[in-house]
Amino acid sequence: MNRFLPLPPDKPRRSRDVSILILLAALIVILFLVSMNTGFMRLSPLEVLHTLSGNGTRQQQLILFDFRLPRIVISLLIGAGFAVAGSILQGLSRNALAEPSTLGINAGAGFAVLIFISFVPATTAAPIFVLPLLALAGASLTAALVYFLSYRRADGLSPTRLILIGIAVGAGIYAFQLILSLRLDPQNYQFVAIWLAGKIWGGDWRFVLALLPWIMIFVPFACYKARVLNVLNLGDETSKGLGMPLERERLLLLATAVALAGACVSVSGGIGFVGLIAPHLARRLVGPRHQIMLPVAALSGALLLLTADTIGRWILQPAEIPTGIVVAIIGAPYFLYLLAKSKA
Amino acid sequence: MASSTHSTLQAPSDEGNTPVQSRPVAAAAILVLGIAAILFGLMVSVSVGAADIRLATVWEAVFRFNPELPQHQVIRELRIPRAAAGALVGACFAVAGAIMQGMTRNPLADSGLLGLNAGAGVGLALAFAFAPSLSFTYIMMYCFIGAAVASLLVFGIGSLSHSGLTPLRLTLAGAAVSAMLLAVSQGIAILYSLSQDIAFWMAGGIGGASWKQLRIMFPWVAAALIGSLILSRSITLLSLGRDVAAGLGQRTRLVQTAGMIIVVILAGAAVSTVGPIAFVGLMVPHITRYLVGVDYRWIIPCSAVLGSILVLFADIAARMINAPYETPIGALIAVLGVPFFIYLAGKRKGELQ
Amino acid sequence: MFLFNLQGSGSVKLAVAGFLTTTLLLSACGNNNSNAGGNGAAATTAPSATVEATAAPAESAAPAVDKTVTDAMGHKVTIPANPQRVIASYLEDYLVALGVTPVAQWSTKNGTQDYLAAELKDVPPISYDLPLEAVTGFAPDFHIVQSEGTVQNGLYDQLNKIAPTYVLGDEVSSDWRAALLKIGELLNKTPEAEKAIADYEQKAASAKSAVSAAIGDDSVAILWLVSKNFFIVDETRSSGAVMYGDLGVKLPNLVTEIPAESRAPWNPISLEKLSELTAEHIILVNSDKAGGAEITEGAVWKGIPAVKAGNVHEFSADTSWLYSGPIANSKTIDDILSSFVK
Repeated sequence: MNRFLPLPPDKPRRSRDVSILILLAALIVILFLVSMNTGFMRLSPLEVLHTLSGNGTRQQQLILFDFRLPRIVISLLIGAGFAVAGSILQGLSRNALAEPSTLGINAGAGFAVLIFISFVPATTAAPIFVLPLLALAGASLTAALVYFLSYRRADGLSPTRLILIGIAVGAGIYAFQLILSLRLDPQNYQFVAIWLAGKIWGGDWRFVLALLPWIMIFVPFACYKARVLNVLNLGDETSKGLGMPLERERLLLLATAVALAGACVSVSGGIGFVGLIAPHLARRLVGPRHQIMLPVAALSGALLLLTADTIGRWILQPAEIPTGIVVAIIGAPYFLYLLAKSKA
Repeated sequence: MASSTHSTLQAPSDEGNTPVQSRPVAAAAILVLGIAAILFGLMVSVSVGAADIRLATVWEAVFRFNPELPQHQVIRELRIPRAAAGALVGACFAVAGAIMQGMTRNPLADSGLLGLNAGAGVGLALAFAFAPSLSFTYIMMYCFIGAAVASLLVFGIGSLSHSGLTPLRLTLAGAAVSAMLLAVSQGIAILYSLSQDIAFWMAGGIGGASWKQLRIMFPWVAAALIGSLILSRSITLLSLGRDVAAGLGQRTRLVQTAGMIIVVILAGAAVSTVGPIAFVGLMVPHITRYLVGVDYRWIIPCSAVLGSILVLFADIAARMINAPYETPIGALIAVLGVPFFIYLAGKRKGELQ
Repeated sequence: MFLFNLQGSGSVKLAVAGFLTTTLLLSACGNNNSNAGGNGAAATTAPSATVEATAAPAESAAPAVDKTVTDAMGHKVTIPANPQRVIASYLEDYLVALGVTPVAQWSTKNGTQDYLAAELKDVPPISYDLPLEAVTGFAPDFHIVQSEGTVQNGLYDQLNKIAPTYVLGDEVSSDWRAALLKIGELLNKTPEAEKAIADYEQKAASAKSAVSAAIGDDSVAILWLVSKNFFIVDETRSSGAVMYGDLGVKLPNLVTEIPAESRAPWNPISLEKLSELTAEHIILVNSDKAGGAEITEGAVWKGIPAVKAGNVHEFSADTSWLYSGPIANSKTIDDILSSFVK
């Protein structure tokens, strides 16, 4: 746990932090360019430039502006959202292995989508936001249920209990998902299976617009609360001693994490691991102070997800691998390394 | 400690200085009554099913078998192996859970929650995708390897750290390893359009069990169960803490390795036959410890018996709830298992942190 | 072998994955080179770049004959006067019957619709989930989508950006005659559609009397065996509609015993229940040759009366039995005739 102890800010450290931020941003820009060139249709960098300046063919414009760009932007937003949500949860629970899906958020969102697909025939054009909104509702309800089950009047909210009950509820929901999914016809089943595995849907500017406010409000809010997260790391007793309204702050931060993760899950489907790995990466790079750690985590998450999405789009062309699977496969080795290294 | 009133009953979390309590009489009673219940369950299980077969015919099929009659064949070839498989895998999951809980002193250990089932699932997905015509022996081997890899990931890496894994960390590690392995299976399934095949299997079902599968898995399971009885004394000592066990002259590494091998065989064999059924290994050992005390020489056989009963009757219920269709047994058991898990997680605050 | 190849190419790509960044950065430096490659690829995947202009409904050359129709999901769709490059994933059967060759055909990792292999042998495959860039690459001027379920979550809007997209809908596509007429109407091929139906009815009528003469009042069960599970076909869909509807063969007891409201085109059925099958004949569509052998060699299967009597007619999964459409159904009739009418 000692890695969580806040360090006193010092000058050389700060300039290093800034250069890390710049480095990450530069990597994202490079990957952004690479990703624009990646896909089933080959567009050379020159063609991309042409198209960006408005001289492409209709096909090229369609691919770049309507399919690739929104998808890239969504990947970046989702990566940042999951990463910040994960950082908050790890800070709250003082547990380095917590992440949004441990609270059952992914399971709840998936379950809501599955219920919709199972019981509402797709005979009319459902408005585009029906599924995301349902997923968000499922995620929030599950998080609320987990919170409710783990709250005790005697000792308030124990982070440990929160995580364990999150895992239990997630496992239970998963079992019911299986029952429901067996009743689906194969076509709907494929849709749900891919949704659950986490796929960034086709890419559509409307999703970008829907997601943007959540990220723009809650990520800065989390950064604003960075000091609270630092104090929480010192333990309940210390936090109380410092005069912090522990329960209130915790609930507020938890709600922020759920809002971020829920909004992301609603667009991306069941993507895990980003919220687990990005905070670790950030802590390794810049240490545990949340003021700097949160932005770095957001950038790392965005970078990680964009990488995964680009690989998923490219590696088995023309088939696409759902991004969630690529993330899990990239993230797993790093996670295992963490597990081996970390102290009990 | 929040649960001090129960502390003598829950061995894995107890401090080394609590006296070892066991109740041999209760345990003997469980074994006798339990075996009677298993026999009763087997009879019920053979008597109910999708085909409408009169009870008299059922008994004729058992005692005066006539291969010319299709109904007799149904009893012989489908229902009896199904009932036997239910009893057998129930014992497998429960004993695997008991060993894991004892060895890791972790009340939340279960082959489903710790990723062993998911590991076996990856083995199975690989087998389905790349070699769809493999015989059951090889499918079981794939499951063994998958479960072994998962347990190495969860326990092996965990044991590298000096102070071992706390229940919370172990559960989290299990959840993460499960998530990762599930993603791998999903990836294979989506790419090879096997999703629903694998989903059927993931939901757990004893319906497909055949004599052939039983014949192949039985020697492994029997050997593993006998091995677990031989190990049971050492597991009792380990459940008091590694230092205590080492102090009493136990070769703890050896015992742990042997225990893990047994767990992998039990979980792999059970998963390859009926799919990943979670929570049996979580619930049964707890209930058993509550009834018979902390001595694993009693806990292991009693867990086997109670696990058999649980899965046997759950399978009967799975056939009757929505007849003639089957309800996935994994989900049925989860209906019991999730509240149980929540109860455990809620109660054991002090010890888990 | 097919699987093995896939596996090979997958691992090669996995290996290459690590060099993703490098490769692309290199290609960014070698502009000329990659430019040529890019054009080459575009040329092969989209052979006629000129058609593309007519694809946009707004700039269509002959607006007078464009027509606007409403699809199953309520979209207003403007269909080009004379669609040249049609994608109708999983509806290829109808296009073939109407004499239209699609620019791409439905496929999964496991292959395409095998029974149409001869008719569609030069048509490149497209993944069943219609990846947008792949669709764009074929430069279609008209899409027909079979089911509402395929285009959920905004996919319709994206497809419609590439070319006008008409959703046939589950209701229409569950009745192949209605689907054929509708597709004929969309593609200005109503006479062809009517003729195809008339031809089929004639073929069915003569087959009906032949089959009835051959097996009389016997009932026939159609079973599909896939990954060790059986499904039994009812009279509403695909080969069931042909067998029981068009040819008037008697339904087996196990289908009539399922309450009508819970019947599906393919009903899961346990081997245990199958032991009660009294049908005189079984059509076994075997998608599980390897793994299913354990079942078809087993005593329970062999105890089913029709199996005992040797009246099992087995067809592999690459036949038309699992599909629906004018071509599929016609081929199914051929198979029925060859099974029962000697």
